[in-house]
Amino acid sequence: MKRFINDLKKYKNYIAYATWAELKTEVINSYLGWAWMILEPLAFMLIYVFIAGVIFKSTVQYFPVFVFIGLSIWNFFNKMVVASVKIVANNRDTVTKVYLPKFVLLLVKMGVNIFKMIVSFALVFLFMIFYKVPITWNVLWFIPILIVTIVFTFGVCTIMMHFGVFAEDLSNLVNIALRMVFYLTGIFFDISTKVHNVLYRTILLDLNPLANFIFNMRNVLIYSSSPVGMWTLIWFFVGILLSMIGINTIYKYENTYVKVMR
Amino acid sequence: MKKKEIAITVNDLHVYYRDMKRFSLKKGGLKEKGSGKLFKAIKGVTFEVPKGQILGICGKNGSGKSTLLRAISGIFSPDHGSINLHGNSISLLSIGVGFQKQLTGYENIYLSGMLLGYTREEIDKKVNEIIEFSELGDFVYKPVRSYSSGMYSKLAFSITAILETDIILIDEVLSVGDIHFKEKSYNKMKELISDESRTVVIVSHSTKTIVELCDKVIWLHDGLIKAEGDPATIMQEYEEFMRAEA
Repeated sequence: MKRFINDLKKYKNYIAYATWAELKTEVINSYLGWAWMILEPLAFMLIYVFIAGVIFKSTVQYFPVFVFIGLSIWNFFNKMVVASVKIVANNRDTVTKVYLPKFVLLLVKMGVNIFKMIVSFALVFLFMIFYKVPITWNVLWFIPILIVTIVFTFGVCTIMMHFGVFAEDLSNLVNIALRMVFYLTGIFFDISTKVHNVLYRTILLDLNPLANFIFNMRNVLIYSSSPVGMWTLIWFFVGILLSMIGINTIYKYENTYVKVMR
Repeated sequence: MKKKEIAITVNDLHVYYRDMKRFSLKKGGLKEKGSGKLFKAIKGVTFEVPKGQILGICGKNGSGKSTLLRAISGIFSPDHGSINLHGNSISLLSIGVGFQKQLTGYENIYLSGMLLGYTREEIDKKVNEIIEFSELGDFVYKPVRSYSSGMYSKLAFSITAILETDIILIDEVLSVGDIHFKEKSYNKMKELISDESRTVVIVSHSTKTIVELCDKVIWLHDGLIKAEGDPATIMQEYEEFMRAEA
């Protein structure tokens, strides 16, 4: 753990700079440049809103905001997990030539995707104003919920990153699992009103961390209520635990990663 | 400073590649250890490099030279034995560490520099020197993807040569660029080397490089030290050996 903090200090410059570099790389050759950072999520959201709102005629109040929140969190988690499985292989030019703690690669990716998520939430706030969603102090819960999401995602990703080096099939499995969780997470529908069986509702809302985070985020942003925090807190500690296990495992095995990849 | 300080101690080093491929589900799930042939790249190498020495490593292809360098630089973990760097900072001089091809050379200088553990301020101080040395001129503000391979290597070399670390490991990059740049980098190497506190390990096939630059040479053969000692003598033996084999 101490080593983790030392390495974090040592590489924080690199992490920040590499994050910026990667973001820049994504937009450097396009005509619209940085505008894509906003246009892309906006376009996807509008598509989903159209499909769910016009075609399936959802009755949820403030529907675009509702979907927006779900997708912001989901996209973050989804992109991170997919990227982390192949992250060592995708950085082979770097890892075969210089030693760096491998979780640094993950943190750079986190930086990139946290930036995107923040942009996405900035759009959420714009939409909230546009749709005249009543805003209360409960909105401040936004920050702790975001932190929990980030910590939990990091924990999952450290583990994925480690096994991703060794298991060729993992990315296929992960894609299937993610697709399944995507539909179970209630991004286009409200689990708490659609699912009436209490047992199922508990399973879907509390035992699926993503659904839990999204549910609470909607509570505090749209419905002016405070979060229903117990499970969120539990998932926060699970996230911390996973991160610690993940980081320890990575430290233990990271110098064999390069050998496996040859 | 103490006299005859030791910069690198390598003790009975073994590095193996386990041929575990990257197992798939078909081959039995998430078992990590187990089957897989062991390929022994380094089988027990012991040596010490005193501070300020320039050590050459020669040997035919596949004899474990690059593996040894990577083990010293910390990219590979030893499977047996130990490597002690006595707290010195180290960099493996190799082509294009962590370059982002879409970004400009200038931005890549910062990226590589930070990857090697330098702060922004430290790089700020050196960046002009790096650009000047790399001879890229205005190209340094163009994306790296537009560089010729020579320019690419020049930039990579300049970054590591000018951002100085206590120990520099060089893996056959002295043959970078055109004749002019080659000579320049050669001289830069000499200059770096003449700095008494700097320790250098060079892997090379070139007898000229090793004899001219190195104080001592180690001849690796099949993962073991076949001979070590005075560069001129060893390199002569090595050349004869290689010719006989061909």
